Amino acid sequence: MRGLAMRAGEGALVLPLFLTFMLLFAAPLVLLLGVSLHNDPELEQWGLLTWKKFVQDGFYWQATLDTLRLGATTVVAAVLLGYPLALTYLSLGERGQRILLFIIIMPLLLSVVVRTFAWIVILSHEGVVNQTLLALGLTAAPLRLLQTELGLVISLTQIELPMLLLPLIAALSRLDRNLFDASSILGASRWRTLFKVILPLSLPGLIAGCTLVFASSTTAFISQSVIGGNRLVYLPLLIWQQTSVVYHWPMAAVISIVLLCTVLACLYVINLMGRKSMRYLHV
Amino acid sequence: MNRRDFIQFGSAAAACGLAPGAFANDGTVTTAIYPGSWEEAYRSIVAPALKRDAGVELRMQSLWAVDQIAKARAARGRAPFDTFILDPGPRVTAIESGLFEKFDASRLKNASKLPPGMIDAHGVNVAGQFVGIAYNPKKFPKPPTSWKELFAEPYVSRLGLTGFQTTFGTVSIIEIAKAFGGSETDVEPFFTELKKVLPKVAVIGNSASMPSLFQQGQCDIMYTNTQTVGTLKAKGVDIEMAVPSSGLIAFFTTFHIAKGSKNVDNAYKFIDTAISTPMQQQLMASPYFMAPVNSEVSLANAGLPLRSLDEMKNMVQHDWTKINPLRAGWIERFNREVAR
Repeated sequence: MRGLAMRAGEGALVLPLFLTFMLLFAAPLVLLLGVSLHNDPELEQWGLLTWKKFVQDGFYWQATLDTLRLGATTVVAAVLLGYPLALTYLSLGERGQRILLFIIIMPLLLSVVVRTFAWIVILSHEGVVNQTLLALGLTAAPLRLLQTELGLVISLTQIELPMLLLPLIAALSRLDRNLFDASSILGASRWRTLFKVILPLSLPGLIAGCTLVFASSTTAFISQSVIGGNRLVYLPLLIWQQTSVVYHWPMAAVISIVLLCTVLACLYVINLMGRKSMRYLHV
Repeated sequence: MNRRDFIQFGSAAAACGLAPGAFANDGTVTTAIYPGSWEEAYRSIVAPALKRDAGVELRMQSLWAVDQIAKARAARGRAPFDTFILDPGPRVTAIESGLFEKFDASRLKNASKLPPGMIDAHGVNVAGQFVGIAYNPKKFPKPPTSWKELFAEPYVSRLGLTGFQTTFGTVSIIEIAKAFGGSETDVEPFFTELKKVLPKVAVIGNSASMPSLFQQGQCDIMYTNTQTVGTLKAKGVDIEMAVPSSGLIAFFTTFHIAKGSKNVDNAYKFIDTAISTPMQQQLMASPYFMAPVNSEVSLANAGLPLRSLDEMKNMVQHDWTKINPLRAGWIERFNREVAR
């Protein structure tokens, strides 16, 4: 009886947090779902017509796939660039690590809008990249880098890189250096040590970083619309159009829910793969 | 409370928030203002004058017209600002949605300085805007003379297109459609011609990034307003405005008092200050180039494409009551046509 009473008391302590969570997180999602279940922008007629329109229209599916592909490509690019950088951090002395960490964190202190517009200057027709390529005689005419998925992935990779690096560096920093020595004493090459020791042990940090990069790049409305332009249609652009230009809130809600659910599903898969890999690697 | 009320109330609560200045009558007024040169101009010119002459502090929320409407509709009668600043399309939408207080011209000391037709029951004109073809004179010594030429070489491969999300984008596309045989309500010829030239077009971007893209040489020709041209020119960008043979497009930007505003007195003081002769004179000067609505302001040497406000009557104007119902469909169509 006393145990039950104690548990009830503990439950009461959690209640304010639970209610706040319900109010600030769950209620808006319930509202979003409610708005999506309307057939008309005036929210007068309940029904599934808006969902039906979305499901039956290939354009929306294509935009969904493009959005997820953008997230996946950015994650791959960020990992390819970020993992060697994190290993470099690991090999540096304390002063070097402090300098590198400052360089990694510095972009986060700038607005994403400023960083995105800076990429216009870098990637444009008369930008740094094209001028350099022309000066070196590597191209005869300026390359089209803006308004392409390549340009968008390049800029998003730079913008999201700190999101990958910070958890990855935190995971790598916690590793016991004696493990690397033990691995080489037992005859493992540096590559084998990397793939059999360092990579498996850093997976939690890598998964956390990939999760942040994926979620952030699939919803990066500013970068998508400024660097990608209107040729590349992603879900955040469609949500903004339906909300602010067309004023069709049910469709905006439907697209938002689809974006939320597909991104969450992908994150679940990333985490699942990570967990399975860890189990496999420790066998 | 039925389910619809619950959803609408919830949406309003979520979207509205408690914007400072929107509910308290405390010697302040909160206005929505367009980001960029408008915000800059009102912060540096109008806000100090309003504080000095009327003792009212101006607060600003940086929002495009469509975003103002979205916020106000979400707030359902509790707008997070006291005054709207709008272009004709969103203005019609707002009137239909009942988002304005009835406008009383007798509360403006400067009302008599505005020509007839500048004030109605919904709001007041505050600046004229003119839309034409902006081009880089170094890249094109001979500017285009018609909207039709934009879709032909040498212009099309250096063209920057924007869609129907903005007023200037919508009216420019309508004029291109007209040049190919369309009308104010039929933009099909535009889509037909766009399909033919789509791979050649240099940029299809959003309106906010177009000035930067032009500045960086990503495109050398685009449709835009004289204000953008003036602002870029003042920054040293090679840019000129070409007047198409059909004429420049003209429309007014308007101020309105938000339904449910608790600062109506201050809102009138703010609007009155904005349309006063000294303010209109300063807003017309470089780098803002806002065409005045006050007849006491001389347009001589203003760098604007007209010598008197009467000339606006001869410019191309559009009926947004006809355009608005079609716009959503056009936006959706544009998305599909230009997407890879």
